[in-house]
Amino acid sequence: MKFFQKTKKEVNKHQKALSELIRVVGEERILSAIEDRICYSYDATRQKVLPDIVVRPADTNDVSNTLKIASKYKVPIYARGAGSGLTGGAVPLMGGIVFDLKNMNRIIEISPDDFTATVEPGVVTKELQDEVAKFDLFYPPDPSSAAFSTIGGNVAECAGGITGLKYGVTRDYILSLEIVLPDGSVINTGGKALRSTTGYDLTRLFTGSEGTLGVFTKITVKLIPKPEKILTVAAYFSERDDAVDAADLIIDNNILPRTLEFLDQMTINAVRGYTGADIGEDVKALLLIDIDGTEGSISHEVPIIENACRESNAFRTKVAETAEERDAIWATRRSISPALYNIAPHKINEDICVPRSKIKEMLQRVDRIKTDQPIYIANFGHIGDGNIHVNTMYSDDPGQEELAESIVNKVMKEVVKLGGSISGEHGIGNKKSQFMELEIPSHEYEIMKKFKSYFDPKGIMNPGKMFIR
Amino acid sequence: MTTDWKEEVSKCSKCGKCQTVCPVFLETGDESSVSRGKISLAEALRDKQIVYTERLREHVYSCKKCMRCRKVCPSDVDYEVIISALLRGVADEMGIPLMPKIIFRYMLPRRILFDLMLKVGSKIQRFIPGKRRGQMRHLPLLFMGKRWIPTLAKKTALKKFSTTRKLKNPKMRVGLFTGCLINYIYVDIAEAVVDVLNRMNIEVVIPQGQLCCGTPSSTMGDHKSSKKLAEVNREVFESHNLDAIVSACATCTKSIKMDYLRTLGPSWQQMSDKIYDISEFIEKYCGNDYKAKPIDEKVTYHDPCHLMWVRGITEEPRDVLKKSSDFVDMDMAGSCCGGGGIFTIIHYDLTLKMLERKVNSIERSGADTVATNCPGCIMQIADGFAGKDSKVKTTHSIQILQKAMVNGGVDNSDTS
Repeated sequence: MKFFQKTKKEVNKHQKALSELIRVVGEERILSAIEDRICYSYDATRQKVLPDIVVRPADTNDVSNTLKIASKYKVPIYARGAGSGLTGGAVPLMGGIVFDLKNMNRIIEISPDDFTATVEPGVVTKELQDEVAKFDLFYPPDPSSAAFSTIGGNVAECAGGITGLKYGVTRDYILSLEIVLPDGSVINTGGKALRSTTGYDLTRLFTGSEGTLGVFTKITVKLIPKPEKILTVAAYFSERDDAVDAADLIIDNNILPRTLEFLDQMTINAVRGYTGADIGEDVKALLLIDIDGTEGSISHEVPIIENACRESNAFRTKVAETAEERDAIWATRRSISPALYNIAPHKINEDICVPRSKIKEMLQRVDRIKTDQPIYIANFGHIGDGNIHVNTMYSDDPGQEELAESIVNKVMKEVVKLGGSISGEHGIGNKKSQFMELEIPSHEYEIMKKFKSYFDPKGIMNPGKMFIR
Repeated sequence: MTTDWKEEVSKCSKCGKCQTVCPVFLETGDESSVSRGKISLAEALRDKQIVYTERLREHVYSCKKCMRCRKVCPSDVDYEVIISALLRGVADEMGIPLMPKIIFRYMLPRRILFDLMLKVGSKIQRFIPGKRRGQMRHLPLLFMGKRWIPTLAKKTALKKFSTTRKLKNPKMRVGLFTGCLINYIYVDIAEAVVDVLNRMNIEVVIPQGQLCCGTPSSTMGDHKSSKKLAEVNREVFESHNLDAIVSACATCTKSIKMDYLRTLGPSWQQMSDKIYDISEFIEKYCGNDYKAKPIDEKVTYHDPCHLMWVRGITEEPRDVLKKSSDFVDMDMAGSCCGGGGIFTIIHYDLTLKMLERKVNSIERSGADTVATNCPGCIMQIADGFAGKDSKVKTTHSIQILQKAMVNGGVDNSDTS
């Protein structure tokens, strides 16, 4: 755990802020003991920096009051949901206040007639999904952390997930936001209407803003009817390129699967070694495909998908209909993360995204970057969107971390050369801020920074994230 | 301890998945409740960035040690090693509260002394008014609070079954590890185990001299006492030539089957392999050939943490109940009832919230009776219903089977 070194003046300001927070927001909403602050020092990047104060607001008013005080004393402030982000979004890099929004977790309204739900930011995404499902409604964005990550965090990072190809990502479902700005003022963007062309789209600006502009206190999401049925197809390939071709061919046949996941040989080997999963040695690539819809549409699509896979040289396809069978197939996907840690103790998990036509080329370039260096790279992910998780696995041996970083560096450059994005769904945080300018031209970068300084003139909102200069 | 906690904490990738299962986090939303938070505290201790304080002790004690987190952890962190080290650290650096210390160090290892203390308790309790459905508003000497705790038995299970009922040609000979709650309070559970197994032509020995499994003391970080208890239990059980050892307590089973491998070392493996939860044993060895006439009662089942999450046993108790009652599953059968050791004392308010969830889901199931395989859970859930004046009965699954066997007049024991 790191301690951000503060000047005497800063320490003084923090203390004043603390006593004012205790007076205004209430002692029961503040944690200041080190044994508590440690528990809010990290996120899923494993970076740990000790915050000076943890504030746990109960409502918009608490959020507003806290931000006013933070502004007054210029204390940095970091919004935090479940702390499950993968780019450092919630890590208090420069000390100050961690804003734990986990207790603002009410589902305010589910409106089946409007196809909308309004929730507080601390609601766990899966809970939202489960609750709307009771009305036969569906909130599609499904990051693999959905069972514990919060909707507020999902909006802040513009989380993706495995249903992106057919249904899009978080951004596509956010209709309206209540946001508290750093000066404590409350704004409302968008509305419950499913379409609006009035003015600039502030909702989109704030979605994916990573806590650098303001703090969400209410989020209204769009819902769609819940598909009647889901079915899973697994297709096994002896060549990686064949799997990529199959994914193309499925879409060329006018089918957008709910999920189209790809696992490369390294990933499959890791899973086999870890779970003893029954996947033959001859399998060099795997596609896991979910299709959803009505009974009729699914029975129409399954043979087309199976044919597309076989035409692309899949040597086997498997269809799973029951929940148990589907679960058995998806267990393979779920076990990737622990399985990879079985190969090496550390990983850099990138979420690059390239135009769909460039997937094969990108994977080949990753191969060329790795060559025969003593490190493991496992590629898997949302191939339908061109969003591939390039996982560089490294050990504690000297030189390994540097090697992993240099590989990631090179991969990022190739991604941008192919017209791709350095982050498909994890956000930038501080972990990827060094790559921002690879993708964002300098004029555009400056425009973004102007937005930032317009909303946050004092620079207290999540400092150290997204922009490095 | 074979695994070093200082290395184990480094395995945590801080993904946050433990939040999905932690029953304490579910109630508090505090990061200090969940294992990821406690692991961070352990890291800070390791790196000498903090020391043991009262606040730290509160956080360490806010763990139910149900081990759900361990089951779902994608990085395979052995959280049990870490929380045990924290508990031991708290005990070593800050001491164990006096009363538990006296009990763990001096009384639990001496059966006669402990018996005597509880006997006094069972005498005193007769003078305490306000018994409700067999639960009395009183805590037998050990703890305080406003809880409905069952009355102490007049005769302990060990005394009651000091001589083994001999079968002439038994299929197997098994030993029963009673555990404290069954020995002192729920003697009828021991009775049901003996009766049911006898009816299956299995001889049941209750080795005299067996002591507490050691969980209460290790929970408080008093590993010295736990080790002492484990050593005595080893001697007692190894001296009988048993085909298997059964227990009707989920926590005792976990303790003697799994924790002892750490306390006593790999030499315990052979014994450990022979230890079973009672339903697990019945389904494994007698699953196909016992008959029972299902009782006319709607029964649901609550999964004890230490059976479901530590041992992965969920089907066997249900199989037993399906054969012996009108079984109905409840939603959230695996949610924690909130019972268990020091946690219920230090975090009584959280205990009640968990209990309320449990009681509600039992009531939603429409069952007349809730059965489970842990006397700790039975005590907790019965407490919840006693407070509510509900008609739902709380019992052990073996007692349902006993009723069904009596009901069907089944007796295959060979005593001729």
